[in-house]
Parts: sequence; C-alpha cells; structure tokens
Amino acid sequence: MANRDKNKLSRRRFLKAGVAAGALSATALPLQATAADASMEKAAKLPFAITKLLNEVTLPDTKGARVVVVGGGWSGLAMAKYLKIHNPAFDVVLIDKRPEFISFPASNSWLADQVNLDFLTHSYIDAAKSHNYHFLNATVLGFDRESKKVFTSNGFINYDYMVLAPGIEYDYSRIGVDDPVAQMQLYNNFPGGFVNSSELITIKRKLNTFKGGTFILNVPNGEYRCTAAPYERACMAAAIFKKRRVKAKILLLDMNADIRIKKQGFEKAFSSLYADYINYLPSSEISGVDIDEKTVSTDFDDYSFDDAIIYPPVRASSLLEDAGIANMKTAQKIANTDPYKYHVIGDEYVYVTGDSRSQPFSKGGHTANSEAQYVAEVIAAHALGKEVRWRSPQTMCFSAVDINPLQAMSIITFYKFNKQNKEFEFDRTHMMEDWNSEGGQASLAWAEGMYRDMFYK
Amino acid sequence: MKAAIQHVLSGLLCLILSNAQAVEKITIQLDFIPDIEDGKTTFSVCARCHLPEAWGNTDGTYPQLAGQHVNVLIKQLLDIRNGTRRSSLMFPFVQERTIGGYQQLTNVVAYISTLPMNPMHSKGPWGKGTKEYQQGKKTYKQFCASCHGDNGKGNNELVYPKLQGQHFYYMSKQLGRIKSGLREVHPAMQAVVEELDLEQLDKAVNYASYFAVPKEDMAASKTWRNPDFK
Repeated sequence: MANRDKNKLSRRRFLKAGVAAGALSATALPLQATAADASMEKAAKLPFAITKLLNEVTLPDTKGARVVVVGGGWSGLAMAKYLKIHNPAFDVVLIDKRPEFISFPASNSWLADQVNLDFLTHSYIDAAKSHNYHFLNATVLGFDRESKKVFTSNGFINYDYMVLAPGIEYDYSRIGVDDPVAQMQLYNNFPGGFVNSSELITIKRKLNTFKGGTFILNVPNGEYRCTAAPYERACMAAAIFKKRRVKAKILLLDMNADIRIKKQGFEKAFSSLYADYINYLPSSEISGVDIDEKTVSTDFDDYSFDDAIIYPPVRASSLLEDAGIANMKTAQKIANTDPYKYHVIGDEYVYVTGDSRSQPFSKGGHTANSEAQYVAEVIAAHALGKEVRWRSPQTMCFSAVDINPLQAMSIITFYKFNKQNKEFEFDRTHMMEDWNSEGGQASLAWAEGMYRDMFYK
Repeated sequence: MKAAIQHVLSGLLCLILSNAQAVEKITIQLDFIPDIEDGKTTFSVCARCHLPEAWGNTDGTYPQLAGQHVNVLIKQLLDIRNGTRRSSLMFPFVQERTIGGYQQLTNVVAYISTLPMNPMHSKGPWGKGTKEYQQGKKTYKQFCASCHGDNGKGNNELVYPKLQGQHFYYMSKQLGRIKSGLREVHPAMQAVVEELDLEQLDKAVNYASYFAVPKEDMAASKTWRNPDFK
C-alpha cells in the first residue's frame, strides 16, 4: 500500500505558504529596479513553486497497491490496461505530459493523406475510462526511489510499483552535432519526426509545400525507433512529390551498410515506383550537419539540400538517468534490468519497458504492446509472490510503399534467448514483402485494432 | 463442403419489429458453398499474424487454427465481429468492410480446414503418470468429455471446439478469460468454468493437451511450411 500521507503538507501550511508567496510577489512587482529587490522577489516566489511540487497529487483513495506508469505511449497504455486486467485491485496511474495521443505508427500514411488526423488521434481520458485507471496529465520531474515517490509538475505521487516507459530521445552527438544550441537549431529546422507529434505536422507541411530540389532523409544506425519507418517515409515522400509533380530528388542517406528490414520489398519500390525520385545511398555515416549552409557531411562526401528530415540515432529517455538507473557507458544509456522480468537489478519494484527497455527488441508499437501485456502479468504475479513464464514479444510491422490505393507489406517476428551467446536473437520470422492493396488495408486494420486495444472497450 | 451460418440477424429483426408487443425470435439459416481459392487469398491477410501454417504458438498468444472445425471457426469470427468475443486486434480484420461478407468467411475457414495440423503443439507441464495428469483426467471425463468428446475431437455440427492439438497455454489462457468475464461462451461451458477453480481447469486442459492427434491430420514434420505462401 502506498503511504499517501507521508510528507504531505497540511492544507493550512500550504495555504499559508501560497498566500504569503502570492502577496509578496504582487507587492514586489513594481519594485524590480534594484538587484536586491530582484533577488528578494526570487526568494519570495521560489517557495510557491516548491510548495506546489511538494503537494501530493489528489487521486481517489483505493486500497490496492499503486502502480505508477510513467509514459503513455504504446507500452504505457497497454501496461496500464493489462495491469488492471491481471489485478483489478491495483490502483493504476498513467502519467504523460501530452494532453492527447497522436499515433506515430500509421503516421507515414497520414503524411500522404491516406488516413486523416482523427484516425491517429485518441484521448487519454477515453483510455483511462475504458480500462478503469487514472490518467494524470503532468510532466515527470524526478524520483525518490527510497521513499518511492514520483515528482511531477502537478505534485508528487507515492507508488508501490513503478513502470518506466518514457521512450526515446534523439542523440545528436552521434551525428557529430555536440553543441546544445546547434542541436536545438537542428531539431527546430529539420526535425526527425519520431518523438513529438509537432515534428510530424512540420514534416507533413514540408512535404506538401516543397518546391523542388534535393530533399534529404536519413536512416540512423544502432537500435533506432521503428526500423522500417525511415524507408517507408522515403516512399511516402516520393509518392507525395510524384503526385504533386514536383521536380524533387530524395537522397536517402542510410547510416547502415544495407536496408535494415524488408529489403526486397523496399528495393522493388525504390526501383519500380520511385526510380526518378529516390537515390538510396547506403553506408552514409553522417558526421555533421551545417544548418546555415544546408549541407550534410558523411565520411565520404558532403551533400547540400533544399530541405531535410534529420533522424539522429536515439538513446533511452533521460528520465532513466533521473531515476539513477541508466548506465551511461552504454550507447543507448539503458538501465541494468533483468532481461526476462524487466525490473531494475536490485529493485523489484521498478520496471523499464517500451523503447527505453534494455533488451535489443525492435523498437515499435506492436513490440511494446505485446511486451507490456506480458510485463503487466509479471508485476501482478510479483504482488502475489508468484512468477510467470517468459514469453517473447512480437514485432508486427507494416510498411506502406504506395498510395491511392495504399499498398503495404508486412513482417512478423518473435524472439528467443540464445543461451550460448547470452543474447536475444530472432526466432521465427514471417515476411510478406510482396506489397499490395490487401496489405495496405491490413495495415490500417492493424492500427485500428491497436488503438481499440489501448483506448476503447 | 458446406458451411452453415446461423446468425443474430434475428436480433436485428426483433429490433425493427419491437415497436409495441414482444415478438418471437426468428432465426435465419444461410448455406454457402465455400470457394477455397478465394479463401486462400483472404487467408494471406490472416497469415500476416497467424503465420501461413495457422499453427499458433507454444506460449498461447495464438491458437492452432489448422484442424479446427469449420463451424467453430465461423462462430469465433462472428463472435469477434459482433463483440461477443473480445479481441481488439482481430476486430477490424473480421468486419464486413475488411474481410467481406459471409461468403468470404466461409471461404477462409474452408481454406484453413485444408491445412495439416502442427505435429508439435505445446503440452501442459504435467506428463502422463503424474498425479496432476490423473486429476485432470478425472475432471475432464466428468465435466468436459460429454461435449468435447473422450478424445477431444469436438463436434462440427454442434459447434463444440476440437481440443486435440490445441496449445496448452492457449486453452489455459482462454479459460482464465472466461472465468474473469473477458470471454462470453455457451451457458453450459460458462457453468463448468464457474464450477471449477483455475487449478482444476488447468489440470483438465493439461490432460486434453496430451490427446493424440490422428496422424492423417498432421503435417509430416514440424518444419513443414505452407507451400501456398512461399
């Protein structure tokens, strides 16, 4: 049971602090002339902000153990739902800083107007209501794992179990952009489209207003989010340019030696549909981007562009660092977790799932959903002192290659643990690389089914 | 081959007719001659997840569809279509707008019925000769055999699922779902699931998972791959 009254400020103390701070800052406002006044004002304002953060978030009181899920992406949403299914007594709180959900899977089809924004957009309120958990629209600021607290922009929450599913962040240093200001400028001018939904909206506008010339897209290396998506996006971008009859050349700079997934299907699309539009360049290790000159440097060449989508390699969310569990020596800054049970080594009450997980499973929606269904069962069993048998996540992945009608191909794969190498590897994989309109329809049915699972009854 | 569909069209008619007085339920039975070639095309969509052999997987996330009675398969598709059997991911795939009408449903189940069964389905943890196996046998004989048959063959005409060759973890998971109200089934089945606890149910399906699959129903080896989807 979470101790919800621990460290809670009394209402009287809170009001006193709040009113005092309010009164002081109001009178201090006209008196900002001197440095002394400014620092006085700062000192007077600070306690107000802090008291707000130190107040406990108001939630209905329930008797069951509280599980706080940090991050309402594909992992967190499935986690919250299936925790309640496996143990209806759990008091589940899902936290996300976004007010609504916009799906990244299927978003490439949206770029090319094959679905509308309503198809991708869903409500966290619906999700929480359908599956009997609480949604807290707040930003997580930090943790105290000793007293089992999560601090958010709305106050703190006590937890019995915590699941961290905060996803990924871009790691611009791995394409030679180290300066934080340069990173920010690069992000704002040429966003990658894999973290924040505003990036997608920008990308859609870019593709639909591009006047012609060279458009650079890239495929990152390492374990990036959604292996097939950069290739799929190149196809959708080319389809848009083709439809708009823009004289445009897409340079697809792949930081890998070859197409990472569905190679035959993508090669066929590049050559049969987009020979005039896509120039695929493998082994293009990006070593720098000059925003002013609009050039991308690789180990071999410099490429100038008129517009670009720069998708840098990724790392696990820095929230893992804030929780004190990230191993900063690993390329993806991942946590040291149990590969089967997902809990942090040494803390069986904190779990890491989704794209910030430590296992090398493909980062994507279906993987995260199937994994969360299993981990929710692990946590429910742990609360009863039991264990469940490990089962593999599944990676079901559709890629659209052509539009009107939408044509797509798919792959499904499972994983197994190789005891000799002590590594996870692919188990049975089934590819359907002959893209067609049945595949396109199936890709949308798949997305619809997944949204249904996460948001509706 | 002929597959019959009894559907809740009657429910719809009731709704239209139920202005004033209570009306009698009308059941419409429709017969279809399946087109297996067309079923193969439809199945290519199913195979994206269920894999071309429709053998399911050992951890129970997918059932073995190969070898199942056509009427049982049809009932599952219709139950998922109308929400009686909840499966979020399957739901959009079995809607008329996606898979097509009754004809397409019969085509695809007819195709599935041509597939040989998995020769290596997953069995429960309690082998023959264990106490749990014996307990499960007793429970099975008492509660399950009258419908599903002594050897788990089920019954196509009466829409009793075949249990032979079904993965243990799949059956166990479904019983858990029925028990917790996540899956609606025939009242007789519902009554049995309510009568027994999860441990008894697990032992009963453990016993069922050891039923021999007739050799002629099985693929020659576990490495057999469906040649229609090379």
